[in-house]
Amino acid sequence: MVISPIHYVAIPLLVAFLIPLVAKIGKNWARILPGLTLAYLNFVSVYLMTKVQETGIISESVGGWDAPVGINLVFSPLSGLLVSLITGIGFLVWLYSYQFKNVEKNESQKYFTLLLMLITGANGVILTGDIFNMFVFMEITAISAYALTAFYRHRNGAEAAFKYLLIGSLASTFMLLAIMLLYAQVGTLNMADIASKMDQVSSGMKVTIFILFLTGFGIEAEMFPLNGWAPDAYTEAPGPIGAVFASAVVKAGVYAMARVVFTLFGYGDSPVEILIIMGVITMAIAEFSAFRQEKLKRMLAYSSIGQMGLVIAAFGLGTKAGVFAALFIMVNHALIKSLLFLSGTYMVYHSKEKLIAELNGMAKELPVTAALFAFGALAIAGFPPFSGFWSKVYFLIAAADQKMVFLIIMVLLVTTVEVLYYFKVINRMYFHKPEMELEYRRPSTNALISMFVLTAVILWISFFPDTVMGYIDAAANDLVNRAGYINLVLNR
Amino acid sequence: MNIQDFINFLVYGTAIFLIIGGLYAVLTKKYLTKIVIGLSIMDAGINLLLIAIGYTYKGTAPIFSPAVEGKTVTMVDPVPQALVLTAIVIGFGVTAVALSLVIRLYRHHNTLCIDNIKNLKW
Amino acid sequence: MKKYVAVVLLLFFGYYLLLSFLQLDFGRADERMAVSKDYLHESVATNKVANVITSIVVNFRGFDTLGEVTVLFLASTALASILYRRNKPGVKVPKERILTSASHLLHIGAKVLFPISIVLGAYIFIHGHLTPGGGFQGGAVIATGVLLMILSYRKFHVNHNIVSWVESIAGIAFVAIGFTGLIFGTSFLENVFPVGTLNALMSGGAIPLIYIAVGFKVGAELIGLLDNILLNNKELKQ
Repeated sequence: MVISPIHYVAIPLLVAFLIPLVAKIGKNWARILPGLTLAYLNFVSVYLMTKVQETGIISESVGGWDAPVGINLVFSPLSGLLVSLITGIGFLVWLYSYQFKNVEKNESQKYFTLLLMLITGANGVILTGDIFNMFVFMEITAISAYALTAFYRHRNGAEAAFKYLLIGSLASTFMLLAIMLLYAQVGTLNMADIASKMDQVSSGMKVTIFILFLTGFGIEAEMFPLNGWAPDAYTEAPGPIGAVFASAVVKAGVYAMARVVFTLFGYGDSPVEILIIMGVITMAIAEFSAFRQEKLKRMLAYSSIGQMGLVIAAFGLGTKAGVFAALFIMVNHALIKSLLFLSGTYMVYHSKEKLIAELNGMAKELPVTAALFAFGALAIAGFPPFSGFWSKVYFLIAAADQKMVFLIIMVLLVTTVEVLYYFKVINRMYFHKPEMELEYRRPSTNALISMFVLTAVILWISFFPDTVMGYIDAAANDLVNRAGYINLVLNR
Repeated sequence: MNIQDFINFLVYGTAIFLIIGGLYAVLTKKYLTKIVIGLSIMDAGINLLLIAIGYTYKGTAPIFSPAVEGKTVTMVDPVPQALVLTAIVIGFGVTAVALSLVIRLYRHHNTLCIDNIKNLKW
Repeated sequence: MKKYVAVVLLLFFGYYLLLSFLQLDFGRADERMAVSKDYLHESVATNKVANVITSIVVNFRGFDTLGEVTVLFLASTALASILYRRNKPGVKVPKERILTSASHLLHIGAKVLFPISIVLGAYIFIHGHLTPGGGFQGGAVIATGVLLMILSYRKFHVNHNIVSWVESIAGIAFVAIGFTGLIFGTSFLENVFPVGTLNALMSGGAIPLIYIAVGFKVGAELIGLLDNILLNNKELKQ
């Protein structure tokens, strides 16, 4: 059996169906098996990423039928990059959650099944070449996310999950309407095939379909004003799941949006104003809200929304440089925000309210965790020479190419705000005295290992950005090269 | 208005009315169960719309049973029907999760009215 | 006030949506079919499956169906995870799921209908490739029979162990049949079994096999969902 992209979906599903049986033999196996699967998938990522560099896009058909008739999976430099990123972070989150005390207190078997399915759903969204199949995987991602948001019984998870579910259902309704209209126009569901027949669609209909898609995917991608679910879900979900939301769910949404804009509609030639405007509004509102937050995880959630605004605006530039910057920000954000969530979870572990004000003197109590958090904060705010700085520089260059002065000013302004609120936290951790004696929980060895791996990767990108920029450049080329994608998938 | 336009208006209007009605319930109703019912109505509208798109006049079900062997028959578009099957199942799954969340909210707050559940206010 | 805003917004949205859909003539799908023509042709020619929809659901777009089955599996996992709570020691879980006893009529009727619904459900998913229906519909019919029994008999309860075994094995069977395509053919879920002749019960190769697995899976999943929700109805009775 050859290693192929289908392994990303088929093997986790097989494992997920096996878990209830395995749990009857030994409870522990139900927790280890998802980790083994994710480890194997990381191996698949490495194998396929080297292969895709040599041979170009890998398009695999499912069900024995080629692209327009059957469903196909596309492992391109772009989808490969994102899938590898998500799988890698998924494995680290599994390692972190393994023997995580709060998860242990609840039904840990369900937690690991849902975590595995969340990763699989996001991978499916990114790999599939079929628009309806994308919708199905989006729903798989969403349902696991609802359940994980409500996982803890001692928090208000059910409220957050219910809100998320309502907004998510709205998203799926919009997506389905868009798919329907599109199918009625072109009679096919394969994305490459739709893209090649897009000129049959009248321009008015095109706008309707585009708006419906944008709303649908915008909800998953945390675009303003559709991100009402995000702060609550990030706050109430188990700590490590925040990292998965930031790196998998949102990335899948943004990827889907980018695919629709660039490949399906071919809007890549000129700046897409609506994306730039929505992106700027999203980041401005989110970063100013983040500044006002009192709870740590809420602040991180708003910061995550702000970064997504930046990504959406960068995609909106429409040029290759813009796409490159967007992808670079996505990669950095996935890694750094995961680190912030993973380390932040232990910093507020002991507290009930999880307020930033309770972090006073944390650097003395939990030196390692606090140092990692501070490092993450510096990196994401864009301090040179850390990786966040490089991605913002590339964004500014791309914006300057298009002579978007207003956008540059907005980004600089927003970055200042970002620096301010992260410094607020660092200030409390390092320069305030602890107010009272509290029971702190020290991170377990697993958790420390996963945080250190993330730190190492971020440092690597910071000091040797050239090593990853090759991959990101290939991915940006892949997204911009619409004709290449269509011809390859349709075998022309 | 010719007959075709009237039929279009009737069919799509009904389905869109269901979608809008469901959305109205989701947006304005105060009771969690009613919100979930709204979601289901919305799903029903979507499914109806999807089926309507695939219909052909005088079309039969796309099944090549012995009854149609050797004859030329028009068949309706089979793809929307397959998609509806998927959409129904997904709608069912989401509704089940929504109901379980409602049960848990009731357990905590002993009420189904969103006015009394502090964290559900927007 | 909020209500009026919602009404205005929704009316605007509905009007816009209606305008878009009115451009598509109802009943003229034959003019719009593109890939569907391939499906109608290949289903008979290559797969030897009379029911084109089954052919699409299980073979051409079988990957969607795998996703669907996963959604159901996730829904039942999510339900169990959301409604789970640790039983306090000393508190007994009530065996009875429903609160009031059913009438004599329902008792007798359920007894008659239960076996019929099982047989009908099995018939529907075994003949999924020949007649309308299939795994999802058959599974739903079976679950309805079980629901009828739960509603009529207070003492009736479902064996959790059997349900979860059936659920897992059916799911594994689906993926395993998918992998036979990858091993003996070229792609996942490919139909590598001999396809037989059109309109015979033994036709379509892997398609009926997958639909039978889906039938078992859906039936077990729905029964598990019902059981899980009814287990938790204790608070709702007040």
